[in-house]
Amino acid sequence: MDDTTFLGFAKEDIKNAYSTVFENTWPLWLGGVFMGILVLMVFLWNFPWGVTGGYRNWIEWLGYVVKIKGEAPPITPWLHPVSAGNAGIIIGAIGSALLSRQFKWQLASGREYFKGILGGALMGTGVAMTGGCLGGAFYSGIGVFSLGGFTMVIGVMIGAYLGLRLVLWEVESLPPSKQPIPSEKKEGGFDWKSIYPAMGVAVFLLAIAIMYVYSYFDEVKIGGLCLLGVIMGLVMHRSRFCFVRVFRCPLMTGDAEMVKTACLSLTIYALGSAVIKWSYLQPDTMGVYHPVGLGTIGGGILFGTGMILLGSCASSALWRMGEGNTKIIVGLFSFSIANSIARTFFMKWDLYQYFGSSIFIPEVLSWHLTLPLYALFFVGWVLLANWNEESEKFVIF
Amino acid sequence: MSDVAVDKVLDLRGLTCPMPLLKTKKELKGMTPGQVLEVWGTDEGSKKDIPDFVNKKKHEFLSLEDVAEGYTKYLIKA
Repeated sequence: MDDTTFLGFAKEDIKNAYSTVFENTWPLWLGGVFMGILVLMVFLWNFPWGVTGGYRNWIEWLGYVVKIKGEAPPITPWLHPVSAGNAGIIIGAIGSALLSRQFKWQLASGREYFKGILGGALMGTGVAMTGGCLGGAFYSGIGVFSLGGFTMVIGVMIGAYLGLRLVLWEVESLPPSKQPIPSEKKEGGFDWKSIYPAMGVAVFLLAIAIMYVYSYFDEVKIGGLCLLGVIMGLVMHRSRFCFVRVFRCPLMTGDAEMVKTACLSLTIYALGSAVIKWSYLQPDTMGVYHPVGLGTIGGGILFGTGMILLGSCASSALWRMGEGNTKIIVGLFSFSIANSIARTFFMKWDLYQYFGSSIFIPEVLSWHLTLPLYALFFVGWVLLANWNEESEKFVIF
Repeated sequence: MSDVAVDKVLDLRGLTCPMPLLKTKKELKGMTPGQVLEVWGTDEGSKKDIPDFVNKKKHEFLSLEDVAEGYTKYLIKA
């Protein structure tokens, strides 16, 4: 370093920190650790983390605004806790994508958009049965000791297998679809990328300002959820944290990294959640509503198949959308519409009674037995994933 | 890396997760050891996924380069 003054040192230090945080992709496990901590904050602040309710609120509100739906949703999007959290994740991901100069409108072929719409519709219908997506039913379900989180694993694994088989059939049987080719940068045109970092800083300043606005209107709880969402968006984008990989990679490449990350993250979530629930900081059955049986297994199969076609789960769709992925945006519209319609249909025909009931594991097994069983489950899953990575026993092609 | 003789080019521009990795894996399976595959992609996630996959399997990851036309070129030895 040539400049040995304090300012010179600080400048170099900030430059290095910027490169570490925004230019290099974070290790996946680090994203898992941060997510475990952040979801516990969301749980303590309000309710166990989920995302689907926010999407449904948006689409039902949109339906009301464009006069397709006669009745307005009971809560407006800006006061809906899940909607505020989701908006935060998108804002955080946009800020992160700009600061790392990775924001890019990504167009896809007609076939890819079709797969996005189909995948989104399957996922939205599945979620209406499971009571949550991979974030709300698998991750939060297991994290808050709801047995439905585990039964969803079975369904999603089957669904991921079916989805991969479908995609493989497409690759082997259909001619390649015509992809839109990125246009060359015009000579003399304005280089937007050069101001992306400044725009990213502006986005994060805006996020902080939003928190103050909520606080000013006595809605600090919603503002806090939005801010936690912003941090989640940053973490998920920088580490490319996506639950789909837990189920897809062991079948596609054998890679065990995301299984290990999910188990690490869930260990943090479950331990913190045990502290919160066992000491009644929050009611012990809070967040336990995932039906054990047809709901989580059948819904999981639909969700798992759809997520392979869309290329994202509902929570990672938020940060991929913030990165400019148009296939995901199209798929999310389909997801939200299908979810709203399926939920209304299931309620109208009283079908939820057939989907199963929720089970709070410690109520059946006691806390003393539940916690060691959790540890055994995570260790067993990681060992199985590592063995599969080496042997490729479950890899389907 | 421009002096490397490329045996096959795989154009994956416009495809998003999981298609770039899936197609790369499938292509590599059909190549003989020592042949070089050049992959063109626009998916940001592939910049981590493809090298990670290649390095874990019995292939060799040679290089990754963002080209001016707005996509990324990967060179992989099967």
